[in-house]
Amino acid sequence: MTRYGMLIDTTNCIGCFACRTACQRQNGLAANIDYIRYEDRETGTFPNVGFEVIPIQCMHCEDAPCVSVCPTGASYIDETGTVRVDEQKCIGCKYCMAACPYLVRVHNPETGAVEKCKFCAAESFEGRGETCSCVEACVTGCRIFGDLDDPDSDLNKAIAERNALPIAGDRTKAKIFYVR
Amino acid sequence: MSESTITRRGFLKQGAVAAAAAGTVGGLISYDAWSKAYAAADSQQEVKKVHSLCNSCSSKCGFTAHVKNGRVGTMTGDDEHPYCEGTLCARGYGYAAVAYSEDRLTHPLKRIGEGEFEAISWDDALTEIGDKIKAIVAQDGPEALALIMDPRPSGSYYTKRFMAALGSPNTYTHGVACNLAKTSGMTQALGAGDFTSDVANSKMVIFIGRSYADGLRPGSLHSLQKGYQNGSHIVMIDPRMNNSCTYATEWIPIRPATDLALILAMANVLVAEDLYDHDYVDNYTVGFEDWASRLPEYTPEWAEEKTGIPADTIVRLAREMAAAAPQASIEQGWRAATGCSHQNSGETARAICLFNTLLGCWGVEGGAYFPPSVSVGKLEDPRFAAPPKVEAKIAGSKEYPLAVGSMGVATHAVQQAGEGNIKGLIFYQSNCVGGYSNPAQLAEWTKAADLSVAIDVQMTETCKACQYVLPDTSYLERLEVPEFVGGKIPVVALRDRVLEKIHPETRPVDEIFTGLAKACGVGQYFDFTVDELADAQLKTVGLSLAQLQEEGIHAFSEKAWKPQLKTEWKTKSGKVEFTSEACEKAGFTPSPTWVEPLVMPKEGQFRLVGGKQTIHTHTQTANIAPLMEISKQYSLERPWLNAGVAKQMGIEDGDEIEISSEMFTGRTRVKVTERIEPTSLYLPSHYGRMIPEQHVSYNVGLSQMDFVPFHIEPGYGGTMAQEVIVTIKKVGA
Repeated sequence: MTRYGMLIDTTNCIGCFACRTACQRQNGLAANIDYIRYEDRETGTFPNVGFEVIPIQCMHCEDAPCVSVCPTGASYIDETGTVRVDEQKCIGCKYCMAACPYLVRVHNPETGAVEKCKFCAAESFEGRGETCSCVEACVTGCRIFGDLDDPDSDLNKAIAERNALPIAGDRTKAKIFYVR
Repeated sequence: MSESTITRRGFLKQGAVAAAAAGTVGGLISYDAWSKAYAAADSQQEVKKVHSLCNSCSSKCGFTAHVKNGRVGTMTGDDEHPYCEGTLCARGYGYAAVAYSEDRLTHPLKRIGEGEFEAISWDDALTEIGDKIKAIVAQDGPEALALIMDPRPSGSYYTKRFMAALGSPNTYTHGVACNLAKTSGMTQALGAGDFTSDVANSKMVIFIGRSYADGLRPGSLHSLQKGYQNGSHIVMIDPRMNNSCTYATEWIPIRPATDLALILAMANVLVAEDLYDHDYVDNYTVGFEDWASRLPEYTPEWAEEKTGIPADTIVRLAREMAAAAPQASIEQGWRAATGCSHQNSGETARAICLFNTLLGCWGVEGGAYFPPSVSVGKLEDPRFAAPPKVEAKIAGSKEYPLAVGSMGVATHAVQQAGEGNIKGLIFYQSNCVGGYSNPAQLAEWTKAADLSVAIDVQMTETCKACQYVLPDTSYLERLEVPEFVGGKIPVVALRDRVLEKIHPETRPVDEIFTGLAKACGVGQYFDFTVDELADAQLKTVGLSLAQLQEEGIHAFSEKAWKPQLKTEWKTKSGKVEFTSEACEKAGFTPSPTWVEPLVMPKEGQFRLVGGKQTIHTHTQTANIAPLMEISKQYSLERPWLNAGVAKQMGIEDGDEIEISSEMFTGRTRVKVTERIEPTSLYLPSHYGRMIPEQHVSYNVGLSQMDFVPFHIEPGYGGTMAQEVIVTIKKVGA
């Protein structure tokens, strides 16, 4: 089986927003529709300060609250473990937006549907291997995309080596793993 | 992990804001919606791949665009381009939206009243402008014309050729508000204006006021990341904890405008403790004794008073640099400390070069090097022959003798228009009025000129001040002359036509200047197309236009940089010059000594400092929706205030404050942060655009330059963008 996942190493994230604008371009989004949002924090006091930027997007949860609450079956998990939205079935009720603990679903007024990161992997990066636009664009290479069911994937190796963990514990069986 | 885990509650708070923003912003049409509307007609169209060069900043990184239905979809950075090395920045993807912007200039415009324009035909525009230029040349000579531009491949070629054809030496770049003082100061010491720290292979690098992660050029950031990950000691000297500190072993805050004091004190330590490279100094430099005799007064304790950096830290840094040498250097900086910010910027740049000379780092792997480049050979076709050489010197070279002539002092030219000495001003892709110095002052002087013309893609402060506005095509709609780029492996790259022309009455820069030249009676120097010119230039290096269009980027691997101690210099003596007669004539000491900043904040005052954010370039990207939406969503327009100071003043994060300088007072919400030293207020340089025709950027935040008085750095010509004191107060307190 294929079960797609991602690693984001926030120790390498400079908060440059390249993943956001590349994603918008790849997925044809309007300027105000974003599949990736950012949390940032400071630690310490001047002059002994640290900071961290955390890009957050659909975690492609195995136990996905957005899928459970969807009244029409528009939100579903496909055979690669990717959480998807069937635009034709979406009635725009926004239950999923309220249910998502990561707040990464956006209502697109143009389509009337709710959208989010779709692991755009296989779509159009010929010659670059299997990757997503955010992975492809990251200036510091802080993202790794791959198959969690392939024990030899770079993704699985990196998760183990760097002790990457889901952002908020394993409550939804999230498939994006963070190094912090 | 537990301490920093994001809570559901935290998520909800932020997400609610994002969701609200997403639901309410109107008028933005996405590619997706557009393509669905038009898909039926041409769903069979193939995706076309085109190599081109970005225009969102001066780096001009190479990319490949995937074009379908006449729209740009996926973009990827080109691996071979030394400035991007395969990854673009956020601007690269976002700025492509300029082509479809609803705010594009679509017709030639003529000013008919304050802020009012009417559309006119190209024939009328070119004839009227040409007649006025001919009249100025006849009456006051070609020296009464000045042209100001932000260099781009075709822009540089066509503007200089146009001015030379008219007999005028006055072609200026934006350098006065960028890297003019840096390049000029370095030229005095090294005979060359730029060097690159080999950060990737270094043992130690000190950055002074430059952040590769904010003024982002991906290739430079990759080098920093590699250096840091290889264990190099990376020191960020900056009033702000900038985003490059992700890859710094230490951040040392400094009071802005005092960087020269730090360098002088570190140099003093190297000389006093005999830690410098004697072999290099003895054999490849002149004038060392002069500097050595001046340094002793610059003790670390003296520098602590100026900079706020503890004396023992200064001593430690100097010793660590000596221990790491020659795999060590002070990075050259760009705009901030050395480029155009302070009364001592040029001398700071000169001192950096001389400090690095003491380390013997020139040309050595891990030290600092001069990237090799390839240039165009001689063009045989007589159509490309250069116009007669202009003997006159660029206006401002007498007043600012240290400013390199290749950039010139653009603000001086505008000032001269105000005084009646310059009669005609032409701007190409330059928001001089909005960004080079005090905008109200520059607008007044520009309006005083007999002729003023701005060529751009959107309405700007500069366009508003001009009599004529000519609409450029966007960078995605034109071929330009080839761009030769220096790097560890030098390349030639090409900006190509990614899209067909969108607005029929826009014209590419080559056609605009060809048309202007004909209207001015010097059309004989422009009897070729840009395609013919590009092909002829490429033939001189064994390529052709068709070949480069296919390849996108051609690397000259045989010219790759080979590390080797640099012992020959393009100075008068052929050596590194610790002393400079030109500097002495301009009122400085022969070798660099302390130069007081023009202003220093007292208790209760702040120095207003500027600086780039990764998603913007000066004022140029403010009206680009995918980029400005980020600013709005994350409140990036807010000035940064030190948290300790804010607490004392009773100001909290997000409070509205009033900022006042002698020039301007404005209100905005504030970001309270531990990431800035207490005497600085950092206002990002991109905001405060008040042009109603810019629907995206209008009235977001404040403009740094509004607060800055018009002045020019003595000798070097920089705009002294940070020589301004402000006070702040909480609104309603």
